[in-house]
Amino acid sequence: MPRNLKIVLGILGVAVLIGLISLRDLHERVRRLSENQNAEEQARREVLAPPISTPTDVNVQAKIFWAAGPDKVAPVIVELPLSADAVQRSRQVLEELISSPPTPEQRTLPADATILGFYILRDGTAIADFSDALVTETPSGISSEATTIASITGTLENNVPSLKRLKILIHGQEVDTLAGHVDLTGFFDLNPPAPQPVATPAHGDAAPAAPAPAAVTSTPPRSAEILRQLRELTLTASVGRLGFHSSCQSHVPMKGASFAS
Amino acid sequence: MLFVSAATRAPGRAGVQQQTQPPGQPTTQQAPPPVAPPQQTSPPVPVQPVHTGPVIVLDPGHGGTDTGARGESGAIEKEVVLQYAQVVRGQLESQGFRVVMTRTDDSNPSYADRAAIANAYRDAIFISLHVSSTGPVGTARVYYYGFGSSPTGPPAATTTTASSVPLTPSSSSLIPWDQAQLPYVQTSHRLADMLQGELAQRFAGSPISASEAAVRELRSVNEPAVAVEVSSVSVPDPSPLSAMAAPLAASIARGIQAFQSAGSAGGN
Repeated sequence: MPRNLKIVLGILGVAVLIGLISLRDLHERVRRLSENQNAEEQARREVLAPPISTPTDVNVQAKIFWAAGPDKVAPVIVELPLSADAVQRSRQVLEELISSPPTPEQRTLPADATILGFYILRDGTAIADFSDALVTETPSGISSEATTIASITGTLENNVPSLKRLKILIHGQEVDTLAGHVDLTGFFDLNPPAPQPVATPAHGDAAPAAPAPAAVTSTPPRSAEILRQLRELTLTASVGRLGFHSSCQSHVPMKGASFAS
Repeated sequence: MLFVSAATRAPGRAGVQQQTQPPGQPTTQQAPPPVAPPQQTSPPVPVQPVHTGPVIVLDPGHGGTDTGARGESGAIEKEVVLQYAQVVRGQLESQGFRVVMTRTDDSNPSYADRAAIANAYRDAIFISLHVSSTGPVGTARVYYYGFGSSPTGPPAATTTTASSVPLTPSSSSLIPWDQAQLPYVQTSHRLADMLQGELAQRFAGSPISASEAAVRELRSVNEPAVAVEVSSVSVPDPSPLSAMAAPLAASIARGIQAFQSAGSAGGN
C-alpha cells in the first residue's frame, strides 16, 4: 500500500471518529432543544425583558403581591436577588410580579406586559411605563383593574421603601383608564409599611432618590408640576434606558426648590 | 383648565340643610304656601310630587362603541347596566326621588359629560353602574374614589388622595374639574358603605364594606359619588344577571335613604 494512501486513510479515519463524536453531541443538543419547547414563552420574555442583575444584587425575602381572591391581593414571600439601586430594584420586583405568579389564578398582570421604562423623580414619584398589553389584556372591570393596580403598588411599596407615589404610563403616554374603569391620570399613593422598612440593603440608596423626605412629604408637589417634569423626562427617554436614575440630576433641572417652598 | 364653581355649591352646607327631611314621605309640612292652605280636602291638585331630597343621577357605564365587559354567553356590560339603571330608576321614583340618567339609550357620553349632568344640580348623588368580567357571580361591590394603595378598604384616615390638594375648598374658590370629587371622598365613602351594607344583605358573598378605587367616572363629580359593580358577565346565560336587577334597586334605594337620614347628622 503506497504511503500516500495510508496517510489519507488515516486522516479519513480520524475525521470519521471526530465526526461520530461531534454527531453524538449534536444529537444530544437537538434532543434537549426539542424537550424545551414549552420554554418558548420564557425565551420570548428573555428577549423582551432580559433578567436584570446588578453588581449590588443581594438575596432578600421580597414580598410580591399576587391575587388572593376576586378583589384582594396578598403578599407572597419570594427569595430574590434585588439591587440596591431603587430603579433596578423596582424593575426586578415588577418583573417577578409579571413573570412568576405561583398559580395562573393568582396572576394580576398579563403575561405579555413588559416594563418599558421605570424612572424615579427626586421627590420619590415613581413612573412606570408599561407596554400596551397591560391595557389590552387586563380584564375590564373595576374590581379586576383595582386588583391589578393593588398588586403593583403593594409590590413596590413593600420592596422599595423610598417611593412615595406611582404614575403609570402606557407606551410612554398618559392614558385615561387601565381597561375602561380605573383612572390612570392620577398618582397612586405608595405607603411603605410603617414598622421597619423591609429592605435594609436599599436603605443606602434611598438618600439620592429622596434627598429631603421630610420636606417633600409635608408639601407634596402638585400634579401639574410632576406632569411637566414627566414631559421633560420623555424627551430624554433614550437617556432613561441607560439608567436614567443616576443621570437625571444632571440632565433635567428638577425644580426641587419649588417643591420645598 | 376647567373649573367648577364652588361659590354656589359649598359641599355639605346648602345640601345638608335640604336633606333634613327624609325623602320617602310626601312633604306636607313643607308643602308650599302657594297652595291653598286650609283646604285639606282637595287632594286632586296633584302637581308633581315635590322632591326634597337630592337628585339621584344614575350612570349606566359605557355605551355605544364602548361595550364594556363582554361575557361568552353574550352578556354585554353596556346593555345590562342600562337595564339595571331603568329598574333602579323605577324603584327610586316610586319612593319620591327625582332621578336623572346620564344615558337612556345606547349612546356613550364622555366622562366629563356624565359628571356635568350631576354637577348641574346643587344637591345630587351620583351612582355609576357597572358589571365586571371577573369575580363570583351574584355579588356586588361598591367603590368610592381614591388613589390609596390598599385594596381592602383601609381606614378612612389613611386614604389620603395622591395629589393632596386642599380638601376643604373655601366657598368662593374654584375647584379644578379634574379634582372635583376630592372634597367629597369622605362623604362618598359613607354613602358607599351604606350601599354596600344593603347589598351584602341581598347578595351573599359580597363584601360588607366598600372599597376605594380610582374609578374614572367619579373623578369630576362634584357631589357624593359611588360606583356599584355587579359580578359578572361571565355567566353561562344572562338570566341570573337580570334577576339581580330588583334586589339591586332595593339595595340602592335603602342605602340612599340611610345615607340621607344620617346625612344631616354627619355633615361633610
